[in-house]
Amino acid sequence: MKKWHKLVAPVLIAGMTLGSCNEDEFLREQPFTVFSVEYFKTASGFENGLHAVYSGLRFLWGPEGMVSLGSVGTDEWALAEQARAGSPGFALTLGNYTIDAANGALLTPWNRSFNNINLANALVEFAPEVNIPEATKTRLVAETRFIRALYYLNLVQQFGAVPLDLGSGELKFNQSPFQGFNRLNHQELLVKNYEAIIADFQFAVENLPDRRPTGAFRAAKGAALHLLAKTYIQRGYSTAKQPTDFERGYQAATELINNRSRYGAELLQNFADVFRPGNDYNQEILFSIERVPGNFGANEIGTPNSIGAGKGTDAHNDFCGDYTNVRAPLASSSFVPTSTRAIPYGRPIRRFCPTPWAYFEAFADKTNDARYDGSFRTMYYATTTTGPWVATLVTANGLVTSTDTAFIAAHTNAQADSLNALRNPDGTRRLKYRVVAPREFYFIGGSIDPNLTRNYYPSLSKFEDLQNIDANNQATRPFPVARLAETYLLAAEAALQTNRANEALQFINVVKTRAAFRPGLSAATVAARAERIRVRNASEITLDFILDERTRELMGECMRWPDLATRGKLLERARKHNTDVAANIKDFHVLRPIPREQLDRTQDPDKAKYQNPGY
Amino acid sequence: MLVLFLCLQTWAQAQTNVLRGRVTEESGDAIVGASVSIKGTTRGTFTDGDGKYEIAATAGETLVYSFVGYTTKEYKLASGVTMYNVALASSSQILEEIVVVGYGTQKKRDVTGSVVSVSEATLREVPAANLQQALQGRAAGLEIQRVGNQPGAGAQIRIRGIRSISGSNEPLLVLDGIPYEGSLNDINPADIASVDVLKDASATAIYGSRGANGVILLTTKKGKSGSTRVAYSGYHGVGQVANKFPTYNAEEYQAMRNISTWGNGYMPDEIVGISRGTDVNWQDLMYKSSFRTEHNLSLTGGSEKSTFALGGGYYKENTVLPGEDFTRYTFRAAIDGTVGNRIKVGLSTQNIFSYSNGSQFVSGSPLFRMMAMSPLVSPTFDDGTLNPTPWGNIDDLNGNGRYSPLMLLTENPGWIDRVRRIRTFNSAYAEVEILDGLKYRANLGVNFAQQFNGTFIPQDRPLQPSFFRAGQGNTARVGNGETNGYTLEHILQYDKRFKENHTISATGLYSFQRSQSFDNFVQKDSIAEDFVKFYNLALSTPINSNNTFLGGGESSWSLVSYMARVNYSFKEKYLLTATYRRDGSSRLAPTNRWFDYPAFSAGWLLSEESFIRPIKEINLLKLRVGWGKTSNQAIGPYQSLGLVNNSNGLGAGSTGGNITRYNFGPTIVTGYNVVTLPNPNLSWEFTNTLNVGLDFGLYRDRISGSLEFYNSRTQDILYNVSLPVTSGVAGAFLTNIGEMSNKGFEFTLNTQNVVSKSNGFTWTTELNLFRNTNKLLALTSGVMQDIGSQLFVGYSMTSIYDFTKLGIWQISEAEEAARFGSSPGQIKLADISGPDGIPDGRIDATYDRSVIGNMDAKLQGGLTNRFTYKGFDFSVVTFARFGGKLVSQLHQPFGNYLTVLDGRRNEIKVDYWTPTNPSNWFPMPQAAISPVSDAWRTLGYYDASFLKIRSINIGYTFSPKLLQKAQIQNLRLYGVADNVATLFSPFFRQTGIDPEGTGLGNQGVANPGNIRANNAGNGALTVGLGTPMRRTFAMGINLTL
Repeated sequence: MKKWHKLVAPVLIAGMTLGSCNEDEFLREQPFTVFSVEYFKTASGFENGLHAVYSGLRFLWGPEGMVSLGSVGTDEWALAEQARAGSPGFALTLGNYTIDAANGALLTPWNRSFNNINLANALVEFAPEVNIPEATKTRLVAETRFIRALYYLNLVQQFGAVPLDLGSGELKFNQSPFQGFNRLNHQELLVKNYEAIIADFQFAVENLPDRRPTGAFRAAKGAALHLLAKTYIQRGYSTAKQPTDFERGYQAATELINNRSRYGAELLQNFADVFRPGNDYNQEILFSIERVPGNFGANEIGTPNSIGAGKGTDAHNDFCGDYTNVRAPLASSSFVPTSTRAIPYGRPIRRFCPTPWAYFEAFADKTNDARYDGSFRTMYYATTTTGPWVATLVTANGLVTSTDTAFIAAHTNAQADSLNALRNPDGTRRLKYRVVAPREFYFIGGSIDPNLTRNYYPSLSKFEDLQNIDANNQATRPFPVARLAETYLLAAEAALQTNRANEALQFINVVKTRAAFRPGLSAATVAARAERIRVRNASEITLDFILDERTRELMGECMRWPDLATRGKLLERARKHNTDVAANIKDFHVLRPIPREQLDRTQDPDKAKYQNPGY
Repeated sequence: MLVLFLCLQTWAQAQTNVLRGRVTEESGDAIVGASVSIKGTTRGTFTDGDGKYEIAATAGETLVYSFVGYTTKEYKLASGVTMYNVALASSSQILEEIVVVGYGTQKKRDVTGSVVSVSEATLREVPAANLQQALQGRAAGLEIQRVGNQPGAGAQIRIRGIRSISGSNEPLLVLDGIPYEGSLNDINPADIASVDVLKDASATAIYGSRGANGVILLTTKKGKSGSTRVAYSGYHGVGQVANKFPTYNAEEYQAMRNISTWGNGYMPDEIVGISRGTDVNWQDLMYKSSFRTEHNLSLTGGSEKSTFALGGGYYKENTVLPGEDFTRYTFRAAIDGTVGNRIKVGLSTQNIFSYSNGSQFVSGSPLFRMMAMSPLVSPTFDDGTLNPTPWGNIDDLNGNGRYSPLMLLTENPGWIDRVRRIRTFNSAYAEVEILDGLKYRANLGVNFAQQFNGTFIPQDRPLQPSFFRAGQGNTARVGNGETNGYTLEHILQYDKRFKENHTISATGLYSFQRSQSFDNFVQKDSIAEDFVKFYNLALSTPINSNNTFLGGGESSWSLVSYMARVNYSFKEKYLLTATYRRDGSSRLAPTNRWFDYPAFSAGWLLSEESFIRPIKEINLLKLRVGWGKTSNQAIGPYQSLGLVNNSNGLGAGSTGGNITRYNFGPTIVTGYNVVTLPNPNLSWEFTNTLNVGLDFGLYRDRISGSLEFYNSRTQDILYNVSLPVTSGVAGAFLTNIGEMSNKGFEFTLNTQNVVSKSNGFTWTTELNLFRNTNKLLALTSGVMQDIGSQLFVGYSMTSIYDFTKLGIWQISEAEEAARFGSSPGQIKLADISGPDGIPDGRIDATYDRSVIGNMDAKLQGGLTNRFTYKGFDFSVVTFARFGGKLVSQLHQPFGNYLTVLDGRRNEIKVDYWTPTNPSNWFPMPQAAISPVSDAWRTLGYYDASFLKIRSINIGYTFSPKLLQKAQIQNLRLYGVADNVATLFSPFFRQTGIDPEGTGLGNQGVANPGNIRANNAGNGALTVGLGTPMRRTFAMGINLTL
């Protein structure tokens, strides 16, 4: 009997010892990898919060959802073959105005903005508590407010009035699980939205540095002035308009134009250089959404060859016609020398093609005005060795080092006919490559004959990404939001609306003069060309003219739909120039529907009152 | 003393006599065929027609008298006795069975809660990689649904429905008494001696905050005193794909493509194929036969003082797809011993080591290509070489699709897709009998698991294509995770019988448990040479930071518990149990940490009452009633704290795209945002359950079973409420939102249909049927429905909310269709209501969506029939689910892009509408299948009912006489076939696809938005594109020496 006592004692004592350990201490959570909101009050947390706010903008400039919302169903862009066949469905219904509240593209701006706006609210609110030098803090708060305004501007353009009060008061950081939706009294809210946007941009103009860093896009005064001008002008056409809007817009735009060197902005000599790959940080661009070329992790692209998922750019592919089916040298040939996709040309997912109006009228002059050639790819080298072609397309570091032309897209049918008719003395065809005539393009009213070019049309070249790693990947270049050429057009528009027609004429002609330049031409030729395209008479400058000019300058820069919708020109111009839209477009289509998901999650049985009219 | 004892025995042995006697009922009636045997030997006999017996026995030996339906009696033969009559009391054997309950065991007689047991023999009837598969359809109230067919794939286990939406509904696993924080896949089913499932709260309340989902108690095999025995069991089986996915053949493919929106004609290879009449079924070319093999060896033995068990196991299984396999090695040991008279100590260790290959990326893309590649393109060129890109469109040839999966069969792939797990689960105990009837026991459990994931995909080269990496360089990834934890329990137990009729048994517990998990991984591409694989990631080219991708995470939790239980029985007829538990958990905020869990239950053994005893037909009737309160730990560690992190909510993909980054020129920075709001008020989900049960045995247990009714009500349900994004928080908000109920019944019936004494023919049947009805009772917000979160008061938690598809608009309905903006060939949706409460002539998300069904089975269960004849045995295991809807994402066009009907690719075959084929199933292939842009979802809902033969077994056991000569204790040879047939399934009949789920939550490309997301293994079970099921035929042997 004694023996077992000896054994039991240690067990019991061990048990009691463990038993007497502090239960509260034993149960205390000590996370290693989780932070709380207090983190944003630290110096590094504050900056990392701002990085997140910047980063959210990647959703809004580049991915397919926003490219679609900004482009299709306008006078510029019609449905290309894939979208017309229903792939993706959201592009089809945006393009032909059968859009409903479940359209997936709507979720990009809607779902990706408010959390970043809320974080921006937190940063502005927490700033006084953050221990960093005052000057730095002011700049960072100004950057935060600049970006917050950009989110709101984008939302207001698409949806009209949107909540300022996320659950804890207007422009306040919300930490409550708010299930309401502060979007009643649309008109009153819209007025407040514009006031908030303007106040933020105004604060940015006053507190940001004059210039952005040379090789980077942090918010700076130039961009803030540009966007302030744009916001005033846009409000000037809205139901929230103030009598001074166009004047203020004029002031902001001309402040930038007149003090270009102070703000570090200048037009480039050559239009095509503005979007030239590798030249992303040029002086003309005031603000871009940044990405790191070729670095998918840094660009938050998980699956590089997916389309429309996340934060990568699809714009280089969305406007890309199918160059991989063009036979050469003749439509009847059996060779397709470009059948392999190549990095410079992109992935021909053919969502959107130019409307005939854009191709034939806006870009009627493709010779004197260099902007057509600067915006579209018209020449393709062989990408596959087949028949007489040798594929020597080398993309070491993204540069084409050797060439064997497979086909070119002619500016006009006549040009194509004459080039194709060229003969050698022995009667054989002079050109080794094919010249595709506009009548062979896949256009509305044009050819969809698979035996001619199948689904080829001139593809937008502005976003081509030579540093990509695979032709099917999302692009990894910075995406411009604001550039000085547009500032001139905004200045012209504000001048027009404030009865300064002559100034408007001058601003337009600055842009036109630059457009005449092509490298290799003599100064005299450039001057002669400029003379041919310049506007002579101030009376020619109308809002429609400015919109035409915006197409020539800004085609494909994903702002056409809001440009038209906010100026009250969408219905008229889209009906007139885009046969896809005519059957279905209605007056209410100038605003997008509030996404169904938002209404489903809102705790209110009467959801209809939150929806935009018509949907 | 010992010498004397041995001498006595020797002397006694010399005194062997013939003992005669008669075995009767208490009434004096003879019992015919009763067994009379001598304990500890193989000697025995049976009573004759008058109940008489005759047996040679020696004084001092113990005789055992038993017969089915009567209490077994023992008699120690006194010296000189030659005649012994015995009267057996009518009773049910069932009451004498030992049942494992929490923190102890009980005789079934004393159990007052709802417990169902599955025996070792039942577990081994279906050859399976894991216990989940072995248990499917085998116990009432235990719902097991498989989640895919990959080797070693798990299954969803639900006991009496679900109680949590956002937290785990998995039951608590307890292995040899210690809560087991591991996967059932890490347990070799061959090591398990019994499975006992605690179902109602009166039984599970002793596990308090973890009891609500039920408790599965696993008991491993232990040593037995006696001579050392060696046992081997093993089988080897060969399988084939059970059902291929139906796709269009060449002719059907062309018909579909020609009518679709596809405008790009045929590829040159296809044109050749058409002229030659090529018709390729890629699945036929890809599927190979699979195998499954298992071998277990065990060694058991011991003396009166100590016993031991040693066991080793090997299991390997592969699939019909190349590159998928699973191998498991297990080793276990258990030693139990006594020190002196009052101390018992024991140690047991369970160890597994497993490899699974192909589980991370293998099944996805090959399967899609097998469905989607053109049937018109020959798999090989005329010279016999493989056509690397047999696509029907240039986009796939140029893009993601690329290579033919046949490459996986013929080329040396060079890729690695490996998961290796090690788990060791060890427990030790010491038990001291302090006083007679009072015991103290200390249990220590130590759990450690490590998992390694490694993948490598070689570079794609023109002459050496890389299937999983078309157009890209190589990539390697290595991940390591660890889980460690311990449990320490102090248990006091007191058993006492007072004044003959009163028995009391009391248990007290004080325990601690702590567990931590963490993992890290690194992914790197541009490895210098393909042969380096993932073994040295530094042998790589650091072009830029893009090719390095890192990650990790940590979570830990702890739990402190007190428990007390008292069992009281009066005259062994009236039984009472009361339990109380108090749990404190780290997962809750400090102010809200401790909760109490009471339970009470009572039992009444009616068949012992004098008014029932005379009824001969009834030998067991027991009524049980219980009530208890439990909760589940449905809140993850740190969830009450709120969360700020650098996740951008996107997929990591192959590049680590899930971290919020930005850059200012070349400077890359990281962003942090709020992903979860803090909620210090978070609390468990509490479930109160009332259970009424009736156990019965009729005709001497020829018919036995039980019937249970329960009603459980869960309060404070936790839910990740999807806030409107305008709240400024992108993530969902976990909060206690409402109440739900689960009501149901369970019925178990075991019958001995034929028990023939003459030729040994027996036929027994086991049937279990159960039904659970889940209903959301209320939401605290007072609203009746929260569509965004898919919560509908008055409906099941698995409800599907959507438009109602009526069919397809037919030509005769063109005019009506036009009023809805639709045309013949498009999906016809029901116009349910409108702003004025009546149909308004347009299809509108606000007024025309409703709860169109749920995914719960109305009735489910299993049926096993067993036959024996002489040495032969034969059994058929069937199981079934009736009612409920399944969601087939294969049939949601944008789910898997395999029923889009755009003509771009070959697809899963459906009966689509054409002007000459008035189908009501799928719309006409065209760009717009409905003016309602998300109407495509409605094509994916089907009746989930099915009835399947799970396995058929046939075996032969050699007669002991024959074996004795060869020194063999037992030898059985058998053959078994699994996944034999689907006898009934409307979904299978319509689509040709197996109705069991392949995954949890949305498995599609485009999320339909109304499928419950997979939080905590809790997602809706959906049918997608997964490794197909195999039908395996195996031959096996069980041998004991």
